[in-house]
Amino acid sequence: MQGHFSAFSLVDRITELEAGKRAKGYFEVPAHLAGFPVSFAAEAGGQLAAWASMVQLDFNLRPVAGMASDLRFGIPVRPGQRLDLETTINSLDSEAVRYSARASINGESVIELDYSVGPMLPMEGFDSPQAMRERFELICGEGAPGGRFTDVPKHDLDIVELVPNERLCAILRVPKEALFFNDHFPRRPVFPGTMLLDAQIAVALKLAAGSRPWAPGTTLAASLVPDMKMRAFVPPGETVELQIDFESDSGENRMMFKTAARVRGKRVGVGLLEIEGRIGL
Amino acid sequence: MSQDEIKKEEILEVFPTVAKTIADALGCDVDDVKLNVSLIEGLDAESIDFLDLVFRLERSFKLKIPRGKIVEDSRGDLSEAEFEQKGIVTPAGMERLRTFLSEVPADRFSTPMKAADIPRLFTAETFCKLVIRARRAGASAA
Repeated sequence: MQGHFSAFSLVDRITELEAGKRAKGYFEVPAHLAGFPVSFAAEAGGQLAAWASMVQLDFNLRPVAGMASDLRFGIPVRPGQRLDLETTINSLDSEAVRYSARASINGESVIELDYSVGPMLPMEGFDSPQAMRERFELICGEGAPGGRFTDVPKHDLDIVELVPNERLCAILRVPKEALFFNDHFPRRPVFPGTMLLDAQIAVALKLAAGSRPWAPGTTLAASLVPDMKMRAFVPPGETVELQIDFESDSGENRMMFKTAARVRGKRVGVGLLEIEGRIGL
Repeated sequence: MSQDEIKKEEILEVFPTVAKTIADALGCDVDDVKLNVSLIEGLDAESIDFLDLVFRLERSFKLKIPRGKIVEDSRGDLSEAEFEQKGIVTPAGMERLRTFLSEVPADRFSTPMKAADIPRLFTAETFCKLVIRARRAGASAA
């Protein structure tokens, strides 16, 4: 299947592994990309944790979606850079994996994920266990061939309401077809939670930009996700209503927003997101 | 007092923290979390919310809640086969459930009940009791 193990696979190689306990690895961000969202660095850390937990369960189960707490964003990622990954598995059983993760470039933090929970679901429903085992052997050995990850499609987003200092509502149209669905996941395509986060960050930045008289030279960026949860799968072709509500001023040049994503009225994602104004970037 | 007996004042003592934790997990207003509210039918909880909630309760109360603890405790002394047959809760299982989930109004125990539907019965009080039992288990293990 075209795109399997490339279109949304963000661990090229695992360099250290204690199955079910911890792992280190990396992902070479291809130089040909137009950009690499910071939320994908969190995805890469989560994928490393998934490998470290799936091998312990003989690839019969895999973590899908889940919750994250205290996800901190550091420096941005540029195409051509190597993203070093590490994870610690805090607990693992047939119901869930709990882990922390870090992604860095030359020692500088890109993301620090303090705590995440991934519910375990039967692998058969999402991917071939045998194909996953073979992929695992590859990335634990010589590593996957680099440069195969391509840009994901730009979000099809329309802002329908923007009230500065209060809220923003937007419509996100999930593509019916996209290469990344062949990788996430081949047997059951699911819109990745980290892509939803990326869309939420994009619209929260617009709300933040119109809500304060930011000093000249200020660059707005996501700085913290205190809480985020995917409550249901979002399939291809779905329309997602995004809502961003101002929650509080969380510090100097920082605004906290409450995020919600709904599909046909049902909340599929909830969370908090902090946007920070950084001067001199 | 038997290990199973839980006093109202114990429930009321943990309820404010449990209610806040439920509100955080479900993204709802804490004022909507009443002691007798059904988390699924009243607060739109999903199965992943229960997993999230248990982890949050562990962190809020600094205790360990074994996975599947509510379901395991629901069965009590009954074996799995005595509790459910082909996914349907047996009459003995229903009797045990009514005792264990004494906070749930009798008319919500519909029969036949699928074992998978047991979480539909859970209320905020169910999770207060879960915390109290986990505290007791932690205290007796120490």
